Amino acid sequence: MFDSISFFRIVKTGFVNFWRNLSLSAAATMVMTITLVIFAVLFLLFGLTSNALDAVQSRIDISVYFKSGLGEDKIKSIQLDLEANEKVDTVVYTSATKALEEFRKKHENDFLIQQSLNELTENPLPATLNVRAKNLEDYPQIDSFLSDRKYADFIESKSYGDDQTKLAIERLNKILGFIITFGVGLISIFALIAVLVIFNTITLTIFNRREEVEIMRLVGATNWYIRGPFLVESILYGFFATVITALLMLPIFSNFLPRIALFVNPQVSVFNQNVFNYWYLIFMLFLVGAILSVVSTFLAIRKYLKI
Amino acid sequence: MIKFQKVTKHYNQGSKALDNLDLEIHHGEFISLVGRSGAGKSTLLKLIIGEEEIDSGRILIDDIDISQVRKSDLPYLRRKIGVVFQDMKLLPKRTAFENIAFAMEVCGHRAQGIKREVPKILELVGLAHKRNSFPGEMSGGEKQRVAIARALSHRPVLLLADEPTGNLDEVNANEVLELLIKINNLGTTVLLATHAADLVNKLKKRVITIENGKITLEQEKGHYKL
Repeated sequence: MFDSISFFRIVKTGFVNFWRNLSLSAAATMVMTITLVIFAVLFLLFGLTSNALDAVQSRIDISVYFKSGLGEDKIKSIQLDLEANEKVDTVVYTSATKALEEFRKKHENDFLIQQSLNELTENPLPATLNVRAKNLEDYPQIDSFLSDRKYADFIESKSYGDDQTKLAIERLNKILGFIITFGVGLISIFALIAVLVIFNTITLTIFNRREEVEIMRLVGATNWYIRGPFLVESILYGFFATVITALLMLPIFSNFLPRIALFVNPQVSVFNQNVFNYWYLIFMLFLVGAILSVVSTFLAIRKYLKI
Repeated sequence: MIKFQKVTKHYNQGSKALDNLDLEIHHGEFISLVGRSGAGKSTLLKLIIGEEEIDSGRILIDDIDISQVRKSDLPYLRRKIGVVFQDMKLLPKRTAFENIAFAMEVCGHRAQGIKREVPKILELVGLAHKRNSFPGEMSGGEKQRVAIARALSHRPVLLLADEPTGNLDEVNANEVLELLIKINNLGTTVLLATHAADLVNKLKKRVITIENGKITLEQEKGHYKL
């Protein structure tokens, strides 16, 4: 499209335009910053809520208790049946002996329990299968799958989730839905404002530089050489807005977020997840800023820059 | 070099700017294009640089049909053609040197080449001593010579001059004309659209008269005649 000298001159002219219209550039950058801050906060809220939801969901599974004295072969065949079910994620088998061992270990300091266990002649704990579904809404189907008559003779009982957990999941899902609806609405409004402000700023720059543009056209500047500086200028709005937002987000990431995350879900290290990765978020913000800037500039160029 | 073959151009209001016009311009010629205001002179120049599109016919520049040239390639065509206007179109906040350098920069010339070439061009138009002057500090004739210098910065094969002396007094107009003759003598084809009868008569070169979008008179070594 153009050589390195032209590219350098386009970038330089973009910077000069940004600097010459400093008050307009500052206004465009501020509006873009507000949009990006809202985006970042909603992004983090969404991440925290999904994280909490994951935490609660991970506590749910179906425990299938088998009748005592049932052969391990039979249980293994039921395990295979379950594993063949596409809604099932994992099935973990715990034999009665292992269950007892684990129970003893868990209560090794409780003399009363240890003594009671020693007095028993038979293992009171059943063999179990812990079934985890791929999706939360799959549990009722897996439950009905296990309620089939062919398993009735082997299964003593089964249980999944308590009512409180289900309620928590329901509430978190509602919050998540609200964040998505409210967030998309809010982001759309501010994105529109940012696009309009940048559109007007670039239009004014085009107007201010109309003489230069006319001469450039006459002496044979390529279309991209004429358009390029306007694009560079608008990308600078996105860039500076990202830098400001990144600085504003820094205390949230270094102080606030680790505490919240630990409170919500102590087992999962939140920093392994993209949404809580600082640089990932900054990259996303720059991408959003750049896309909004470029779109508004293209609209302004299309309308007002005659080439 | 340039051939107009049955070229017709309408404007939105339906008025015919050029009507079935045939014209041939040869390499190295100096042609004066005369006619009343609105006769079609400026339209003819705009069509050559692809600023306007024709409605019918063909315009060939060195056998290239310019209606077939892609919009993205038009800048490269414009680098072969220098254009000068009555209002000069100089950037007021740039010096004579910078105005010429600007035209070279936007077309991708290297900084070193620009530093070397611009003084030579200023020398050619007789303004070496005005290199650091702003347009506001120069006379009309000097400004027009800077505009011509800028048009020459790409070493064009054709120079289009649309009323270049329109705003100038007789002395300055003569200076500009002499410069155009000098450029023509160096091998550049010059197409001059003008109302200045004295200058055309002084030239004693080919004169084409246009009226209502049609060529009404063609004279070799001619005079200004409407």
